[in-house]
Amino acid sequence: MKNKLLFPIGVFIIILCASSRQRPLQRFELKGFAQGTTYSIIYYATDSVVNTTQTESLLKRFDRSVSLYDPNSLISQFNRSATGIRIDEPFRVLVTRAIQISHATGRLVDPTVKPLVDAWGFGVVKPARDPTGDEIKSLLQNVGVNKIYLKGDYLYKRRPGVQLDLNGIAQGYSVDLLALLLERYYINNYLIELGGELRVKGHKPGNDPFKVGIEGISGNDFDPEPLRKIIEPGDGAITTSGNYRKHHEAGGKQVSHLMNPLTGFPIQNEMISITVYARDAITADGFDNGFMAMGLKNTLAFLEKRKNMGAYIVYRKADGSVADTVTTAFKNKN
Amino acid sequence: MAGGLVLSNSLIAAKPDTQPLKIAVIGCGDRGTGIMHILNGLPDMFRIIAVCDVLDFRLTSAQKLTKNSTTKAYTDYRKLLDDGEVEAVIVAVPLNMHYPIATDVIKSGRHLYLEKTMTYNIEQALELVKLMHGRSNQVLQVGHQYRYSPLYYRVKEMVNNGFLGKVTQVDCRWDRNGDWRRQVPQPGLERAINWRMYKQYSGGLMAELLSHQIDFINWVFDTHPQEFFATGGIDVFKDGRETYDNIQVMMRYPELGLIGNFGAMCGNAHDGYLFKIKGTLGSVSLLTDQGMFFPEKKLLNEKGTIDGVTGATRIVWNKEGGTPILSEPTKDGTWYAFKDFYKKVQAKELPDSNVLTGARTAISVHLANQSLYEKKISTWDKNYML
Repeated sequence: MKNKLLFPIGVFIIILCASSRQRPLQRFELKGFAQGTTYSIIYYATDSVVNTTQTESLLKRFDRSVSLYDPNSLISQFNRSATGIRIDEPFRVLVTRAIQISHATGRLVDPTVKPLVDAWGFGVVKPARDPTGDEIKSLLQNVGVNKIYLKGDYLYKRRPGVQLDLNGIAQGYSVDLLALLLERYYINNYLIELGGELRVKGHKPGNDPFKVGIEGISGNDFDPEPLRKIIEPGDGAITTSGNYRKHHEAGGKQVSHLMNPLTGFPIQNEMISITVYARDAITADGFDNGFMAMGLKNTLAFLEKRKNMGAYIVYRKADGSVADTVTTAFKNKN
Repeated sequence: MAGGLVLSNSLIAAKPDTQPLKIAVIGCGDRGTGIMHILNGLPDMFRIIAVCDVLDFRLTSAQKLTKNSTTKAYTDYRKLLDDGEVEAVIVAVPLNMHYPIATDVIKSGRHLYLEKTMTYNIEQALELVKLMHGRSNQVLQVGHQYRYSPLYYRVKEMVNNGFLGKVTQVDCRWDRNGDWRRQVPQPGLERAINWRMYKQYSGGLMAELLSHQIDFINWVFDTHPQEFFATGGIDVFKDGRETYDNIQVMMRYPELGLIGNFGAMCGNAHDGYLFKIKGTLGSVSLLTDQGMFFPEKKLLNEKGTIDGVTGATRIVWNKEGGTPILSEPTKDGTWYAFKDFYKKVQAKELPDSNVLTGARTAISVHLANQSLYEKKISTWDKNYML
C-alpha cells in the first residue's frame, strides 16, 4: 500500500524537477526613464523575476543620494553644508571610488569639480557669461579631492565652498547596481544600458554573444550617423565619454562640458570620444572623463599594459581628419 | 546728421549705426498692443510715434503703453498716413480692413507690417501682389511669425534635409474650451470688438488661428494645397455668431503626396496647440516655443543584431524617448519677426513672409473657408499662380 503510493509521487517529483530544469530561457526587456535619459535592460530568465517597479525604485533611491537635480538629495545637502554630512552606502561607495580614480589619473578627474561645471554653464543653473581668469582662480580654491575626506559614513569638507558633482561616475555605478539587482535573482545573461553606459554578462540563447554598437560622433540626434563599430564586449562594462553631444559655443569656440580640474578650463585636445571597457561600470565611467582630459598619447600609455581595462578612442588628427584607435585590452572585443 | 555726431563720440560707439525706425500702429486691440509690448523691448530698432484706433478707450490705453510721451493718437488712419514722420506702419485691424488700409499705406510709400491673414479674400490678395510689383525699396512683411522662430526654422531645415524621411501627413490643432469672445464694454460695440464672430469682417478660426500652420507648411515645402475638404458648424456657442466654432479641414498637396489635417474648436482644450509633422523616419511635435523629435521605433529596432549602443549621454525629455529640437524654449515668434522686419527695412530686402507667400496662404485660407461654408470641395485655380 505504502509503496504503491510512494512510487507515483516519486515519479511526479522527478518529472516536476526535470521540467523546471528544462523550461527555456525567455527574453525580457525593461525600458524606462531615469537621470534625464533613458535606460533599457535585456535579460534572459525562465520568468519575469525582475520588473520595472524594482528598477524604478532602485533608480529613484539612487537619485535621492547623488542627483544634483534633486535639491533634497544627500549630495545637494552636502553641497549646501558647511562642514559635511552623514551619507548613505551608495554615496560612500561612489565617493570612495571617485577619490581613488582621481589619484590614479593624476587628478584629471575630480569629484569636487562642481563649481567649475556650474561656472562654465553646464550645471543646473546657467550663468549669463563665461568666467574670467580671476574667477576661475578663486573657484579652484574649492576644487580638489584633498578637500574632502571620509570618516566612517561621515563625509567631511575642509572648506564650506567645496561641492561635489558625481555625474561623471554615478551613471556607471547605477548600471552596476542594476546588475546587482539582476544577479540577486540569479539572472546571469543580461545587457543593461543607461544613458549610453552598459553592463553585460553571459550571452543570448545558443551561446550567441551580446553585441554593442559604438555610436557615430555627428552629435546630430535627428540624423544619426551609422554606428562606428560593433563589438562583443563579453562580461564587463562599456562606457563612453564624448564631446560631441554636450557642448556650447562661446566666442565662436566649442566649449566642452568636461572640465580639467587642474586648470579650471574646459578640456581642449584631440579627443572626440572614448569608449572604455572595464570589469564594472563604476570603473569604466569613473576613468572615461579622465582619459578625455589626459589626451590620446597619455591615455594610450596609461592603458598599454593593463589587461582589465581597454579603450576605443576617436580623435581628431592635426590635419583635421577623424581617426580611431584601440588599446591592447580592447582588441579582442571586435 | 545727428546720427553722424553721435557716432563720432567714441564713448557711445557701441550704439547701432542706424536710428530706430519711427513706426505707427493702426489697430490697438489685443494684437496691436501685444506687438507694442514687444516693440517696447526693442528700443534700438523701433520707436512708436503714432497709434490709431476707431475706439477711443483703446486709443487711450495704447497711448499709455508707449514710453514716448509725444506719441500721437489718431482715430482716422488716413490722417496718420499724412504724418510725414512715420516711416513704417503696423496694421493689426479686423481682417476685412486689411486690404483697404494696406493699400493706402503702400501707396503712401511706407514700409508695412501687415497682420495675418494677409487679406479678406482672394481678389484682394492678388491685387496686393500687383500693387507691390516694382516696389523693391518698400518692405511688406506679413505677420506669419513662425517663419522667424529659430525652432520652426530648425524644423524646416530638418524636413528639407530629409531627417523625417518622406512626410505624408501633418496634424494641426488650435483648440480652446471657451467662446473666443472679448469683453464688450457697451452693447453697441459688439461687432467692432467681436468682429471675429462675423463673416462680414472675419474668416473665423481658419483665418485667425489655423492660417499660421497652413502658412508654415506652405513655407517648409515651398508649395500650397491643391484640394480642400472642410466641415464644421456652430456647435458649441449658439450665441448669434456667424463664423463656425468647430471646424476641420483636410488639404491635399498632390505633388508631395501629403495630407494636411487642420482643426480648431471651442469645445475642448485638451490638445490646445498641436502641430505634428509625420515622416517615414520620424516625427516632429511642436508647441509654439518648443518641439521634440521622435525617430520611428521601427528604425531603432533596425539596428539588427545590436543589443545596445554606447555613446555620450543623450538628453531626452520624456519617457517616449523624444529628443528636444532646441535645448531652450524660444521667445514669442513675433519678437524674432520684428527683429527681422527691422533688418529687412534697413537692407530693403524681401522678407521671408512677403506679399507672395502671404497671398498663397491667404488664398489657401479662403479656399478652405469656401469649402467649409459652401459645403463643397474647393480646388486651387491655376490662375492664382504666384
